[in-house]
Amino acid sequence: MKKIFSIFSLILLSIVDFVAFAQTQRFPRPEFESGYTQPVTSMPEPRAGIFALVDVLLLIAALSLITWFIHKKRSRTGVVVTSLFSLVYFGFLREGCVCSVGSVQNVVLALFNPGYHIPLSALAFFVIPLVYTLFFGRTFCAGVCPLGAVQDVFLLRPVSLKKWLQKVLGLIPWIYLGLAILYAATGTDFIICRYDPFVGIFRFNATFFMFAIGAAFLLISVFIARPYCRFLCPYGVILNLVSRVSKKHLTITPASCIQCKLCENSCPLDAINKPVEVKQMEDKRSATRRFILLGMIIPALMIIGGWVVSNFHENLAMVNSKVRLANELLHFDSNTMEESLEIEGFRTSGKTNEELYLESATILKQFYYGSWMLGAFVGLVFGLSLAGLTRYKYREDYEPDKGECVSCARCLKYCPVEK
Amino acid sequence: MNNKFKLRKTNQSLWKNIAIVAGIFSFIICMLVLVNYMQINRIDPVKTELINSLVQRLEENPNDNQLREQIREMDLLVRKAYFTNQWQVKAGGYLFLLGVIVTAIALQMFYAGKQKPPEVTESEQENIILFKEKARKWIGVGGFGLVAITLLIAFLTHKELGNKFTQAAMVAQTATEESSDVEVVEPVKEEVKEEQIEEEVKKESEKPTEPVVDEKKDEVVEKKEPEIKKEAPTKKVTSGVSYPTKEMMANFPAFRGAGGQGVSYQKNIPTYWDGASGKNVLWKVQVPIHAYNSPVIWGDKLFLSGANATQREVYCYDRNNGKLLWTAKVEGIAGSPAKSPEVTPDTGHAASTVTTDGKLVFAMFANGDVIAVDFNGKQQWAKNLGVPDNHYGHSSSLLVYQDKLVVQYDHKKSARVMALSTATGDELWSTKRKVRVSWASPVIAQIGGSTQVILAADPNVASYDVNTGKELWKLDCITGEVGPSVAVGDDGTVFALNEYASLVAIKPGESPEVLWEAYDYLSDVPSPVISGDNLIIVTSYGAVVCYDAKSGELRWEQEFDSGFYASPILADGNVYLLDRDGVMHIFKADKEYQEIAAPALGEKSDMTPAFADGRVYIRGEKHLYCIGK
Repeated sequence: MKKIFSIFSLILLSIVDFVAFAQTQRFPRPEFESGYTQPVTSMPEPRAGIFALVDVLLLIAALSLITWFIHKKRSRTGVVVTSLFSLVYFGFLREGCVCSVGSVQNVVLALFNPGYHIPLSALAFFVIPLVYTLFFGRTFCAGVCPLGAVQDVFLLRPVSLKKWLQKVLGLIPWIYLGLAILYAATGTDFIICRYDPFVGIFRFNATFFMFAIGAAFLLISVFIARPYCRFLCPYGVILNLVSRVSKKHLTITPASCIQCKLCENSCPLDAINKPVEVKQMEDKRSATRRFILLGMIIPALMIIGGWVVSNFHENLAMVNSKVRLANELLHFDSNTMEESLEIEGFRTSGKTNEELYLESATILKQFYYGSWMLGAFVGLVFGLSLAGLTRYKYREDYEPDKGECVSCARCLKYCPVEK
Repeated sequence: MNNKFKLRKTNQSLWKNIAIVAGIFSFIICMLVLVNYMQINRIDPVKTELINSLVQRLEENPNDNQLREQIREMDLLVRKAYFTNQWQVKAGGYLFLLGVIVTAIALQMFYAGKQKPPEVTESEQENIILFKEKARKWIGVGGFGLVAITLLIAFLTHKELGNKFTQAAMVAQTATEESSDVEVVEPVKEEVKEEQIEEEVKKESEKPTEPVVDEKKDEVVEKKEPEIKKEAPTKKVTSGVSYPTKEMMANFPAFRGAGGQGVSYQKNIPTYWDGASGKNVLWKVQVPIHAYNSPVIWGDKLFLSGANATQREVYCYDRNNGKLLWTAKVEGIAGSPAKSPEVTPDTGHAASTVTTDGKLVFAMFANGDVIAVDFNGKQQWAKNLGVPDNHYGHSSSLLVYQDKLVVQYDHKKSARVMALSTATGDELWSTKRKVRVSWASPVIAQIGGSTQVILAADPNVASYDVNTGKELWKLDCITGEVGPSVAVGDDGTVFALNEYASLVAIKPGESPEVLWEAYDYLSDVPSPVISGDNLIIVTSYGAVVCYDAKSGELRWEQEFDSGFYASPILADGNVYLLDRDGVMHIFKADKEYQEIAAPALGEKSDMTPAFADGRVYIRGEKHLYCIGK
């Protein structure tokens, strides 16, 4: 009954939104003859103070509710209802902004740029899910994040990926996080928002390319649970780290595990750690030797990573509009080439070429040092992952992987044990 | 122990059918949206082949009103189709989303019904050692792959950009130091004494007058003495010398008259003529090369210019009989480009109106050529300012203040305002401006004791000291492709406007203020004019309105069939406003609209008329007209 109610609510909301949209289609925007094209707005209007507060309060309410559903009620239905609400409110109505995933960049920009005052709502969206995760695990991912919720809607025939493949793909979000920090710190761009595959769908303004990417992710979601969350989401890796030390994480069984194996294949994200028997463990001496060796090469990996990415810094800096313009201007020949709109805009800005070149040279220097840090960070991540793969942990029960588990509560109903 | 796993019973065939129907619906909508999207990308509603060919036909037969109407209808249809397509894509997107949601829900319900109880199979136990080994291997391979690709791209695309930028900055710095764009401030020269001017006016009026021969009627008309209309509006003067000078006021020396203020100080201006019958048309001559600049007058001489892609000329006519006294060819100027820049047909190669100081005539063209010729047609100096990068063509007109020729040179590559020596053409001062291209012309007015050059260009209205070029004030209040020049009220209030921006009344000063703003009637070509507290705004689509200059309250509005490109001129207490069909709308510059007359020239015109006592001079599409009583 609850499910049918949710379905009708969703359909009703879509129809109301459609009618409202149809009523606004009366006067098209003016056309200009000078080649100027109206830019597509990439961000919705900033929220007035009271509405920003409402968003934060709703975030806290949704997090509290879903945490209660998971930990107290142990109810998957509660998680589904909350995630549908989040999908409609934080996704379609709030158009995916402000979102915790993108707020990482606001925080980084505020740290590196003293002139930027981070909106309190962005800070709240960054911190509050982290606090909840620290205490209760990734309940935010379970059903408050609209990006996760939209992928869950499409999950129909989950298939299991090879474990080693998951480990390898799981490194991508770290690289993405590093890039996002580099671009936010240099004030270049918020790439997480720009290349968010679902935000264009929430806002109905996706470019064809971004719509195709979003649609591809949703199609993959039919078989592979939450591909964006697991193999791309940069905020997910931060939550993953915090969740590992969470005080009270979701447990499959409310009491003691009876090793019935009923839950073994219940997690579509493959986030259930199976018992590890002692006989499976590798020879302790060779494992320890490998661990020490890999631990020792981590600094070397960091230096190699730094050197490699620092050589790539010019390519990374080309994302910056000023560097791109300076490069274009450097190669511009007024006799043989037609002036681009960017150069035309620059000419009329009154800024001198000298100023632009000097500014671009400074940005390039920032990218050079930033690339060293990014490379070292990626090297560290690779090194730690390799070292971590030599550790063997003895485990008796079926337990959720505290880092990977998104607390979706699917596994709970498989456990026959009662409190 | 109680297994909480419950098998949900759902009507599987129902959900399956819903999923199929919704899935097919979504697929069809998706395809339709894709086709529509591709159509939108292919069609440019502003440039359709059919309409372009019809427009070409209309250019050949400009009087074919049926064809004109057909083009309008087709244009409207194409635009409607374009926006309907856009609407359809968006609406289709909503339908697609709805279809996808229903499909997803139906499939979820269907699969929920197909769920089986969990089975415990004695599957082969996962080999953790093997998994970890494989993971280490592929992380290693992935890492090496990443390093290899990154290094390959890095070495293939390495440009030493940092060094190149630093070097380019040094080159740019050297170029800036060497360029003449650096502001040159010339000490203020002593003002010419009032008595001296009066004496010159006297001399001018004492010159022997020639009989005026009407080409058409062969009648002899006595030349009238230049006389300054007593009740003509004059600005309050707080500095030593008034501007415009009496000499300038006795003539019509620039675009929109003395100082470019839109005021003519002449009297006895005719209010009736008829181009078709020749009534009150004293003479009419063909201008050798067409251009959109307006005539200017000094003494008995009338000046204008003409140009096309290969020729540039300045013409001097005897304003009494229409005789072409001389033609000065503008050629062989150092630095002048071999090929004229591309301009649009509605701007042309000589949209800037010439100006004169009573000794020399100054003209500017779309290729950046500036020339000074004396009253006998002999070149005194000429130079090229550099080709203005202007996608329609340069159109700002020239003004003279004492020994300075003021040039508004706002183009894409470098916007600036400068003063050239009227005697030598040397740059006396030049001030850089952070503005976009402007098609407006400068206005010189006395405000608060100083004589200021006031310019309008996106994004501001700015004022400069005419003697030094120093920026006195500016206010960001205007946007877009600015065409209209400003109007200045008796109390110094500056009025600026542009299409898609607003009409702004500015109180000038160190911290200029917006007194009021209006948005309903805006112009993209004609400039405003002010008489007392009546501010007349003319739009290019045919609306003419009057605002209370003090409060911004709309006093009256009038709609005319033809649009306006010419600017209104206040003459003899009336506003003279020429529409694009050549009909001069003459009305009182008053709180109530009161039409005086609407005589027709019989020829289209987009140029602003010039005035002499008892005469109106109009440059039509092909001919120059002298109208008198």
